[in-house]
Amino acid sequence: MRRPAMRWLGLLVLAAGCATAGADRPDYAAVPKWTTRAIPQARGDVRIQPDGRHVAVRYPGWTTRDYSGFRTYAYDDTRPEPPVQKVTMPPGVTGDPRRGRALFLERAKGPCTGCHLVPGDDVWPAGSVGPDLSALADRKLPDAYLYQQLWDPRVTFPQTVMPPWGAQGAFTPEEIVHLVAYLQTLHGPVAPEKDRERNPFTRSKPVGFGDNLDPTNNPAVVRAESAEAAWSRTGPAGKSCADCHAGGAAKSLRGVAARYPRHVPAYNRVMAIEDYLTVHGPETTGHPLPMEGAENLDLTMLVKMASDGLPVAIDTTSAPARAALARGKATFYRRVGERNHACADCHTPDHGANKFLGGRLLGDATAGLTRHFPTWRTSQNDAWDMRKRFQWCMTPLGTNMLAADAIEYAELELYLTQFDNGKPLSVPGIRH
Amino acid sequence: MSETGKVRLRVPSSIKAGDVIRVRCLVIHPMERIERDKAGKIVDRKYQYIDTVTVTYLGKVVATFETTQSVSENPFFAFAVKATDPGKLTVSFHDTHGQTYEGSVDIAFS
Amino acid sequence: MADHAMTRRAALGVLTVLAGGALTLGGPAPAAAQALGQNEPLDAALKRVFGGRPMKDGTGMIKLDIPLIAENGAVVPVSVEVNAPMTPQSYVKSIYIVADKNRIPIVTRVTLTPASGQAYMGANIRLGETTDVRAIAEQSDGTLWALKREVKVTVGGCGG
Repeated sequence: MRRPAMRWLGLLVLAAGCATAGADRPDYAAVPKWTTRAIPQARGDVRIQPDGRHVAVRYPGWTTRDYSGFRTYAYDDTRPEPPVQKVTMPPGVTGDPRRGRALFLERAKGPCTGCHLVPGDDVWPAGSVGPDLSALADRKLPDAYLYQQLWDPRVTFPQTVMPPWGAQGAFTPEEIVHLVAYLQTLHGPVAPEKDRERNPFTRSKPVGFGDNLDPTNNPAVVRAESAEAAWSRTGPAGKSCADCHAGGAAKSLRGVAARYPRHVPAYNRVMAIEDYLTVHGPETTGHPLPMEGAENLDLTMLVKMASDGLPVAIDTTSAPARAALARGKATFYRRVGERNHACADCHTPDHGANKFLGGRLLGDATAGLTRHFPTWRTSQNDAWDMRKRFQWCMTPLGTNMLAADAIEYAELELYLTQFDNGKPLSVPGIRH
Repeated sequence: MSETGKVRLRVPSSIKAGDVIRVRCLVIHPMERIERDKAGKIVDRKYQYIDTVTVTYLGKVVATFETTQSVSENPFFAFAVKATDPGKLTVSFHDTHGQTYEGSVDIAFS
Repeated sequence: MADHAMTRRAALGVLTVLAGGALTLGGPAPAAAQALGQNEPLDAALKRVFGGRPMKDGTGMIKLDIPLIAENGAVVPVSVEVNAPMTPQSYVKSIYIVADKNRIPIVTRVTLTPASGQAYMGANIRLGETTDVRAIAEQSDGTLWALKREVKVTVGGCGG
């Protein structure tokens, strides 16, 4: 990595993350290169087909679209944020409010209803991250102003979390003209709400899925219990985990997971349990344990369950920890992708946290969101670790995911885990 | 999941003779859903899902669930039983491929 | 209907009890028993199962516990409690769960006995889309009680 570029990046991300005083300046020079040890679907690879098409290699059912035109989380991705674009309305296009409404609701686009409420029984589920637009037309804002707002809202609101839809090519100029025409039909008075659940400002909070540690409620607990068999399975090197860690995972490893993620000097990088297993398996039992493989996930659950009830206690004060936290924080505030979003846009109380994004209540990272990972996901009928959860978030943002064991993700996880320090581990979780 | 057929059962930790207790059970099972091909037509094959859940206590059937593909994968079932005597409570899951999975718990009074 | 259920029970009664194991039950499927849940519209399902019999309003009688909003349609926990006796003279013999808009609207039925002690059941169900969910209780004398509630289903993904 070229030092001058890294310093520039460091200054840029420091400026972006200026919200918290006293943060160490991120230093990327010391970060080693890491060769991924993840399963093929989890490496963030993009393959170029014989016909020249780019196809991203991801998990089954995930989009294969390549977003390499947009910023990623990679430490060596030094591209700046997309420049702010000031524009005028295209001539000769008449706005059609019906087309505009269809575009507003279209899931493949925004949907705009993800953040904004508008009238209609078919509007389900709208979000509350952005203002209610149900009576926007009463403000008599000029078409040109609304057009600019949708094209690139940063002209008027430099700190906005709203994506620059036009500037990034998510909507064409014609489509934005239709959207403006639709917005200009939204006059008050707004009809009284018949259904308080439709309106994200009055909607009930999700009730969750009950006791995550109850094996008659959480299939992940049943799955993790089966992983005990893996503990005693002899690997290619002629040993099993049990040979060094006698007495089962629960006894021999109690307390260990509470200190992860942490900087591991032998590898000069931050590692969560999942990352550590990818190197620890081959060097002891000979089991490869690739990242996002079933064995790695099951053993991670076992190791973390051994510390259930114990408070998370990660190191945040040593020099390597502080350096990694500074980089992780910068990542948390870094804008990436087609949507030009940072994690902070959705997951801090100043912005989206505790509001609805479509039908989903956004979690507050500063309240601690890590101590239930790996978690069962009822919508996936599978257990996911935190890296897969990061990777999932990336595809709707329109940014290529990195390898699951990327150092960037590990340091982001470190940053997030500090908010759970002192709180008890409760693995596996159960979520949607 | 290779864990298909694993059953977990839960009863209250302290039961007195005559208590009406609530029992929860979970079975790992794919509960295969109806698939449609690209044209939207239903793929005709023998889907594997649990169709009957039978609860037996002291040798007698006390409850039976008839279940369908509208029940979730890895389903839980809950029901009540009047704990009259100490003895075995068994939950038996039967699926459309002729497989049966079972779990049992001994009801004891404390 | 009850006779067919007895046939199934008798067949299962000869099974060896094994904790957590899998057994192969060879032989033909239970004879003549029409599957409870079929791929059919709601009206056809209700007609087929209840034959147009009147249903009393279950308010106050039936407690239907189901989230107002399901975070996803794949796993929606539901439980039903019926405030009615469970004696040999009068007991709740069946509780049905029906999801109006599901392709298979009759989701499940539990058949109870006085030995159940309480008319209570729980399960997690699939909902294809926002729909009314009904709990229908049938007493031993044939009286039907029904209660329904709309459950909104949240579609996944960022923004919807």
